[in-house]
Amino acid sequence: MLSESARMSSAAEARFRIDAPNSKPRHVKVIALDSTSEAVVKHLAERRWNNASFFTASAFASAPPGRGFSIQGWLSDLAGRTTDLIDEVNSADLVVMVATAGENAQAATLIGEACSVKRVNTTGLILGGVHATDQMLSKTLAHLRPWSLMLVIATREDYIEDMLTALRA
Amino acid sequence: MLRKEQNDLLTQTGPGTPCGSFFRSYWLPALLAEELPENDCPPVRVKLLSERLLAFRDSGGRLGLIDEFCAHRGVSLWFGRNEENGLRCPYHGWKYDVTGQCIDVPSEPEESGFCRKIRLKSYPLIERGGILWTYMGPAQEAPPLPEWEFALVPDQHRFVSKRLQESNWLQALEGGIDSSHVSFLHRGDLNSDPLFKGAKGNQYNLADSRPVFEVVESAGGLYIGARRNAEDDHYYWRITQWVMPSFTMIPPRGNHSVHGHFWIPIDDENCWTWSFDYHPIRSLTEAELAAMRDGKGIHVKCAPGTFRSVANKDNDYLIDRAAQKAGQRYSGVEGFGMQDASIQESMGPIVDRSKENLVSTDNGIIMARHRLLRAIKALVDKGERPPGLDLAHQRVRSAAVVLPRHHAFKDAAREALMARPGIAPASV
Repeated sequence: MLSESARMSSAAEARFRIDAPNSKPRHVKVIALDSTSEAVVKHLAERRWNNASFFTASAFASAPPGRGFSIQGWLSDLAGRTTDLIDEVNSADLVVMVATAGENAQAATLIGEACSVKRVNTTGLILGGVHATDQMLSKTLAHLRPWSLMLVIATREDYIEDMLTALRA
Repeated sequence: MLRKEQNDLLTQTGPGTPCGSFFRSYWLPALLAEELPENDCPPVRVKLLSERLLAFRDSGGRLGLIDEFCAHRGVSLWFGRNEENGLRCPYHGWKYDVTGQCIDVPSEPEESGFCRKIRLKSYPLIERGGILWTYMGPAQEAPPLPEWEFALVPDQHRFVSKRLQESNWLQALEGGIDSSHVSFLHRGDLNSDPLFKGAKGNQYNLADSRPVFEVVESAGGLYIGARRNAEDDHYYWRITQWVMPSFTMIPPRGNHSVHGHFWIPIDDENCWTWSFDYHPIRSLTEAELAAMRDGKGIHVKCAPGTFRSVANKDNDYLIDRAAQKAGQRYSGVEGFGMQDASIQESMGPIVDRSKENLVSTDNGIIMARHRLLRAIKALVDKGERPPGLDLAHQRVRSAAVVLPRHHAFKDAAREALMARPGIAPASV
């Protein structure tokens, strides 16, 4: 007589797996941290997604250094409308921060802190990291690492699309 | 999740399939060298990439991997007589050499040259590092012979085993690069297994049970880094290598040997799990070898005369619910290898990835699929050689290192991640 494991792991038994949805939609917020990443995220936003929304924090990155910067007004959707970070984090299941190696990724601190307070998972994605110098990459890593529970350094922009699809975004 | 057509593409490796062509680009482990121990020894059935083959070593020591069945009436040549530089079918005496060329058809006049018109499909078979490797792609595109470090060290530095895994190859590979499962499925074994215990790195593991993962593309595949807090603004990094198509190398611990796997499709519902241990600069000790033969570390104890684990799905993997409840074994199954296999086989022969719900920590798996799909498409559409063929992609090591916090591990540990003959592995 076949064991439980032998019987139940057969291809024949796979036919009896329940074919019903096993998850609810997850809300994924994708935030570009610099202008180079913003172009990538804009392109990505043109595709059809279940529950992904796209933002840019490039205004933060391009602010003149040394000047005070308001907590309001630096996060916007891709149409340029200002949006509130806390509101966005409150309604997120996952926040993906997209940065370019060597660019200013300091906005990750504010986003990461908000996610940490609200217990929202974060993923950092660094583009161009494979071809960047050690110094450039270290600079971006220094900003992202403390606030990313998962960090990916990808060679190609199309990885984000595959990642979001895999996550059912 | 993957769409059905993507899942099919990655899991079907038979002749003529895109992923089959991808695997046929590489030298693949086919048998342990000890399976053909001497000239004219019994032939061995081999099924690889959904093709039934037969391996034999002829009277002159030449190795052959040929179609299993006689061209005459389809008899399995496993019953053949391995003698006088060829394998003779016991049914009507047709004889084949290691290239599959028929060299004798007793019923036909020798002068007719009939036997020269008969040739079985064959693949090259070479011995390296205790393994017989085959290349099943077009002869004119054969890559250079494999140069994985474990296969090039002296024999006394290395131990290799293989076991049958009753699932598609991709389930097994994905387990190998899914570093986040270690804290659960293998919990409890780090400090007891003789091939892992005693390393300082284990203390970092225990002190910080929430590692953070970084996935970085490498030329041949991926680096998967798991970082934990260490002293004085440093991180303890464990960096796993994945090189295409299915080679992984697990970070070492202390002065223990380094280990890793290959997962090679037998057919779409079974694969070989190859497991190797080696040390670049020293022989393995008798105690280490005994432990490996006894199924410790990443190896398993197989039923005598087979490559099937003693614990297998026919006996419910000898699951011990009392040990599970007592916390001695997280899943109740003993040993790293069968803990992995039991879980992966339970998914069914080919898991339906359209139903899964991946999370952020699965980025290693997501990236591996992304790269595999990319490589297969480039091979099929443009004839581009896939990553992992360049010998530089094979000269790699895993590493366990302590690095300053802000450093990119792929740069800070660059040398540690390369095979360096005569240099000890970077290990903590």
